[in-house]
Amino acid sequence: MQRQFWILVALAAMVLAGAPRAWSAEPISVGLSAPMTGNYAEYGNNWKKAMDIAVEKINQKGGIKGRPLQLVVEDSKSDPKDSAQIAQKFVSDPRIVAELGDFTSTACMAAQPIYDRAGMVQLSPTASHPEFAPKSPWSFGIVGTQAEEGAFMAGYTVEKEGKKKIAVLYINNDWGIAAQDQYIKRAKELGAQIVAVENFFDRDKDFTGVLTKLRGSKPDALYIPSMYNEGALISKQREKLGWNDVAVFGPGSLYSPKLLEIGGSAVEGLHTSTIFMETDPRPEVQEFIKTFKARNNNVPPNMFAAVAYDALMIMANAIDKAGPDRKAIRDELAKMRDYVGMTGKISFTERRDVKRSYHYLIVQNGAWALLEK
Amino acid sequence: MLLQQVVNGLTQGSLYALVAIGFVIIFGTMNLVTFAHGEVYMVGAFMGYFALSWWHLPWPVALLLGMAAGWILGVLTEKVAFRPMRTLGHMPPLLITIGISIVLKEAVVILLGAENRPVPSIYEQTIQVWGSQVSVLQFVILGIVVLLIVALQLLIQATKIGRAMRATAQDHEAAYAMGVNADRVFNIAFALASCLGGAAGVLVGIYYNAVYATMGGMAGLKGFAACIFGGLTSIPGAILGALIIGVVENLTVQFIASGYRDIIAFLVMVLVLIVRPQGLLGSKMRVV
Repeated sequence: MQRQFWILVALAAMVLAGAPRAWSAEPISVGLSAPMTGNYAEYGNNWKKAMDIAVEKINQKGGIKGRPLQLVVEDSKSDPKDSAQIAQKFVSDPRIVAELGDFTSTACMAAQPIYDRAGMVQLSPTASHPEFAPKSPWSFGIVGTQAEEGAFMAGYTVEKEGKKKIAVLYINNDWGIAAQDQYIKRAKELGAQIVAVENFFDRDKDFTGVLTKLRGSKPDALYIPSMYNEGALISKQREKLGWNDVAVFGPGSLYSPKLLEIGGSAVEGLHTSTIFMETDPRPEVQEFIKTFKARNNNVPPNMFAAVAYDALMIMANAIDKAGPDRKAIRDELAKMRDYVGMTGKISFTERRDVKRSYHYLIVQNGAWALLEK
Repeated sequence: MLLQQVVNGLTQGSLYALVAIGFVIIFGTMNLVTFAHGEVYMVGAFMGYFALSWWHLPWPVALLLGMAAGWILGVLTEKVAFRPMRTLGHMPPLLITIGISIVLKEAVVILLGAENRPVPSIYEQTIQVWGSQVSVLQFVILGIVVLLIVALQLLIQATKIGRAMRATAQDHEAAYAMGVNADRVFNIAFALASCLGGAAGVLVGIYYNAVYATMGGMAGLKGFAACIFGGLTSIPGAILGALIIGVVENLTVQFIASGYRDIIAFLVMVLVLIVRPQGLLGSKMRVV
């Protein structure tokens, strides 16, 4: 009997010693509103993986002011009505000091008025609609806006690659509309002719009809503001229709190892832009890539994972400096300049979004390659 | 351009037709609707994806495996959801199939993830037909669908089980009294319908290069719509309805805009049903 007791004590001691770290303080909670299921589930899960790495890193170093950081995840499916409901839940929970997310500009903008009224920071890793961040003093976007990226891609198409007749096929949501608007505006200024504009909905998987139609307008370039999934399918189906005499361009949302995996030979020569490069030699970037790959079946992080990591780190920095107070966090974030993250230098503008510097990217021999400026 | 859009529409329509025929067979023999048909199609598509991408099997084998997966799922669905409920009216089996549909969909999300899975292409060449470039794959798919439909017709018209199915469809109590094993007929009808759904899933995966957990929803809806459009219990009607929906969708893309494809396709369907409530080729007595 006594012996059994001592064995139990020994076991308990071993368990306690092996426990990751016993926190005496209450955790600091940050809400994450992201699509964990539904059409955009893979993006949400990708975020979560990247953010978990960031959270663990922070907590290993002692957390924020001696308190562990904790992510409270709610699944929004990137559906605007869910993201608004989640916003309601987050703002009424006194433990949550700020929010990260959502994924699509549409879902962010639906939740925006709620965070605005309640006074809670809404920091979206990916919303790039030019009207998102300026709309509320509580909203921040770190990925750069389509006003910048659209203009960059128009320059890539017209000036760098010398294409003059452009067809556009965009995803019909807030982001896609802004993306094609900004691109077309700049392309026209540069003297290109827009020969056709078509759109599709985010559930569509059949692009043969719309591609057949676009082909009839005989463009020499095709601009496809979409996510990499649709971008890859559009390319596959274009190849299958035998339409190969067109150069394809798209914003950085296409930059993912998945595009190459799904698209295969059909995405060869595809042009895009990026703010994050796997080949970035900085040790902290390579360490992040290594950790991410180890947890993700050896698949490297894409741009979405990198901005998610940066978003969490920026938030943690702000909380560390300002303390766990909703208003103080906002003021601290608004002041943030020259943070260097996985995706390069990040400084919030007066509009609380970020001016990014983009790189020319192309698919060459089945791999991503950077082009000279 | 026009010819190419018609070919696009016929290919798409022929895939809807395979799904629609499944609804016709089930409704024709059992007078019941299943809401899990779209998910059977999804499971077939995933089976095709495993066969092509993971196990690197030739595509005809992938097609057969997809059909086999559909068949097995059909047999199970009938045994679990329909057989014990047959005397309880329409609602319980209907609700059970909604449950099965959700379980299948969520199980795939949990086990395999929600992302698109890339399916390798076959027959990537194109050929010139009257000045239009048409993909060889589209003809291959059309050919397979025609073959499957001919095989189905032979089965229904020229075999013993086909005769039993027709008899059961007309009046299952009378057929039972004549010595037809109605349980077996129902089971085979359900399996046959699911088998075609599985085939459609594999072909769609190859055609659009993507399979994903939620792919069944819209496909099930379109197939069901084509089935009603064609007359609920008429296989030729369902095929015609499906082809019309496919072609109208693609012509809408060409002449109006991509966003209107479903609106116009369903509008045409509504208009036809207002004029002909029994559907294109439907009549009260014609079954299977």
